[in-house]
Amino acid sequence: MAEETKPTAPAAAAPKPAPPPGPPPPRNPGFVTFTIDGREAVVKPGTNLVEAARSVGIDIPFYCYHKRLSIAANCRMCLVEMSNAPGGKLMPACQMTAAEGVAVRTDTPRVKDQQRATLEFLLLNHPVDCPICDQSGECKLQDYYMQFDHLRSRLEMPKVEMRKRVVLGPLVVLDEERCILCTRCVRFMREIAGNPQLGVERRGNHSYISTFHGQELDDPYSGNVVDLCPVGALTSTDFRFRGRVWFLSSARSVCTDCARGCNVFLDYMRETTFRYRPRENDAVNQDWICDQGRLSYKRFNEGRVLKARLGRGSSRAVPRAEAVAEAARVLRARAAEGKLALLLSPAASLEDLLAAAAVGRDALKVTEAYVGGRPDGRQDAFLKRADENPDRRGLELVASAFGFPLRPFAELARAVEAGTVQAVWAVGAEVPEAAAAAAVARVPDLVVQATNAGDLAAAATVLLPASPAPESDGTFVNFEGRAQRFEMAYWPRGDSRPHWALAGELGRALGLVARWPTARSVHEDLGRRVADRLGDFRWDSLPAVDRRKGLVPPAAGTVDGRLPGHRERVPLDGSGNVIWDRLSQP
Amino acid sequence: MAKDIEKTVTQAAPANALEAPFPTKRMLLNLGPSHPAMHGTVRAVVELDGENIRSMKLDIGFLHRGFEKSCENVTWTQVFPYTDRLNYVSSIMNNVGYALAVEKLCKLEIPERAQYLRVITSELHRICDHLTLVGAMGLELGAMTILIYTMEGRDLVWDRLTEICGARLTSNYARIGGVARDMPDGWREKVEKTLDQVAELREEVGKLLNRNRIVIDRLQGTGAISREEAIDFGYTGPCLRATGEPYDVRKASPYLVYDRLDFDVPVGSRGDNFDRYLIRMEELKQSDRIVRQCFEQMQPGEIVVEDYRYVLPPKPEVYGTIEGAMAHFKMVMEGIKVPPGEAYSYTEAANGELGFYLVSDGGGRPYKIGVRAPGWNMLMGLPRMLQGKLLADLIPTFDTINMIGGEVEQ
Repeated sequence: MAEETKPTAPAAAAPKPAPPPGPPPPRNPGFVTFTIDGREAVVKPGTNLVEAARSVGIDIPFYCYHKRLSIAANCRMCLVEMSNAPGGKLMPACQMTAAEGVAVRTDTPRVKDQQRATLEFLLLNHPVDCPICDQSGECKLQDYYMQFDHLRSRLEMPKVEMRKRVVLGPLVVLDEERCILCTRCVRFMREIAGNPQLGVERRGNHSYISTFHGQELDDPYSGNVVDLCPVGALTSTDFRFRGRVWFLSSARSVCTDCARGCNVFLDYMRETTFRYRPRENDAVNQDWICDQGRLSYKRFNEGRVLKARLGRGSSRAVPRAEAVAEAARVLRARAAEGKLALLLSPAASLEDLLAAAAVGRDALKVTEAYVGGRPDGRQDAFLKRADENPDRRGLELVASAFGFPLRPFAELARAVEAGTVQAVWAVGAEVPEAAAAAAVARVPDLVVQATNAGDLAAAATVLLPASPAPESDGTFVNFEGRAQRFEMAYWPRGDSRPHWALAGELGRALGLVARWPTARSVHEDLGRRVADRLGDFRWDSLPAVDRRKGLVPPAAGTVDGRLPGHRERVPLDGSGNVIWDRLSQP
Repeated sequence: MAKDIEKTVTQAAPANALEAPFPTKRMLLNLGPSHPAMHGTVRAVVELDGENIRSMKLDIGFLHRGFEKSCENVTWTQVFPYTDRLNYVSSIMNNVGYALAVEKLCKLEIPERAQYLRVITSELHRICDHLTLVGAMGLELGAMTILIYTMEGRDLVWDRLTEICGARLTSNYARIGGVARDMPDGWREKVEKTLDQVAELREEVGKLLNRNRIVIDRLQGTGAISREEAIDFGYTGPCLRATGEPYDVRKASPYLVYDRLDFDVPVGSRGDNFDRYLIRMEELKQSDRIVRQCFEQMQPGEIVVEDYRYVLPPKPEVYGTIEGAMAHFKMVMEGIKVPPGEAYSYTEAANGELGFYLVSDGGGRPYKIGVRAPGWNMLMGLPRMLQGKLLADLIPTFDTINMIGGEVEQ
């Protein structure tokens, strides 16, 4: 093009060397148009090649690149050929931005050979650890080796030995031999957590990841480096050696430890939750969760109430139906006297609260609700909220939909002490303060639906076992008013049932027509009352997981794109809804 | 006294009694699924008019195991034991057919020695298959000796196959990219001796049957099917060749090393039971030739490809290097990754064209497997072959089409 314009250039211009040809004009104004392996890609200016290639369905391998971290370009796995590369060198796709008219090749013999060579170097000193490594099954070294290398070792001398167990902090252990020094963890601590506790020490072959001397990795977000680590170098003290990832299944869930409602994958096996992993949601938690939330899954496993119980302080388990009948008798009598109080927990899901409020109003003529819930905790500037209940906004929505004024817990304690309240129906046994709880515990009739043992559960005259989030599907409304679905991971443990199901059973015992076979039906029946406050939320906003395609947890040890383990333990119908009828009725 | 009876009969029967139309009535006869002649567990509902078959319905499904669906739940490699159970009389041919289909998808060229080993074991299994057919047919025509002779031959071959793959029936011998084991020491000599013994038994059986009046009466002209109809029904293998159509996948579209081997394809002319029997007897001879030629031609070498994407690394590599450990782990836990796409691959199994249609989504497990089992088409033609024929013809016809329940019902 430059040669064509040359003769028409004004002859009077001073003779100076022709300027280098500028970039061609954009074919799509406002965007950059170029080709990757012959496919045309149109991306925003500044998009790096890894993301641009992904937009046209080409996966460029990488270890050090992470879209939320700065570019390091040190793993050399993403090198590609670019038509504008100086000297025809291979260029790191993560660092290079797309330019107009450039031809990028990711499938040439040179690129393939480079990928193979990179892997050979990365594996050169890698220990033979797969059988004992927690990352095994979700390890990028394994994936890429099979994809890009698949050749035998040519190492003829002993591997470099380094420290196998460096305790970096309360949640993170480092295996220096497995580390490929991608520095994702270093960059995360510096850029996301804003607490540069990690660095690379020494040089070359002797480099290793380390904290500053005398310090430990104790940032409240330190657990994320374990998820970030593409290999098995950083492992979680909590999950280490507890389970092999290919035996775990994943459910898409929401962390229940604060009002943020970080999106997580809940990894479980049979009836036990093993870990949380952050699930990407740009609007809520990006790719991260805090350490406190990460460990909060434990309450689903430990200290659970799994049997119904009658009588204060009694340890005699009774069938749930018997306890429900007794609860109905007591509540009906006290409601007739006008001395019944409904205590709702903001830790219960929106469907739980809707069902309880509906039963309370229709069968027990309840007109107001007291608010329980966990006490406030730490708050920081990033994710963690002080309010450690996942559904306070949901509770407020339900109360306003049913016209219930909400009263604080302390008021309930005073009402019990004054004798104006003779019976409490607690949906959720979380209490904000021990002293008030002790007062409430002295109420003559205390019907408690509890997931976990606690003060209120211990004092209950009728204790009904309730199921927490992994054992039901439902919705939490976070502090911004954002409704988020979580899906059922496994069946309710023991004799427990979700709060909405217990409320339904209670309603039937009180003479209401049974109407909620599933959490979905609760939402469809009662959710209309709050729908105008939930924005564009739909129950189906969490798409059904196709066993082969569709949404696959990015890291879990999926075999062949299927969710790992035994997802079929929860029977789903064609649209991905839980078939609750399969649960045997007592 | 005997005289009295003779007298009575003579008196009772009118002069033209033998010519009088015998009053018949229609009868539904339920043959199988547990009738000894309906081996393979299939049920035939036969509508009889006297002794003639007016119509016939086949009821299969007693051996249905959901082969195709089961395969979708295991890795590509784990499918091999399932293929053993298709035509269980000649399992290695199923292994080989499946392996060739997967290799077609993977574009894998397997080592020459593995190709020869596959041909040798396949042809040995063809001998087993044909011997079984001849023996069962003889037994059901009343010649127990034939069964004893052929079973002796088959057991001799099975002994040899046991030495190479460790099992008599369910061989699980082929692998994606090669075969499981090389020949043990001295195996060639043993096999050649076995082939001599089998040839002797074969000759003996031939002498007993080929000119046997009863056998000829029962087989010749019965269960016949024309060439056109056979093609319409999708017949392949000996049943098609008996009608005069010289179609043999080994010649029409040679796979493995069949193009380097010298063997004849016997062809019949009448398409009846006797032709089908004779073709099997001739193919026994040809398989013998093929195996001996393979022994002559094959050279020492690798028996699997050396590609860690498809074949497990040797154990010292697995335990001693991270590359081997990873390859082993990924292949065992997730299966080999077969490139996305679909492929149909077909081989000449003992009963005809055995086809595998595979669809891969790029994952470690088959997305879909479809099997074209040769026996299915033969069985479906059975009612046509027997329409209007005698009930007694059903037994030898059912024998010579060699229906194997395992492959008909996948």
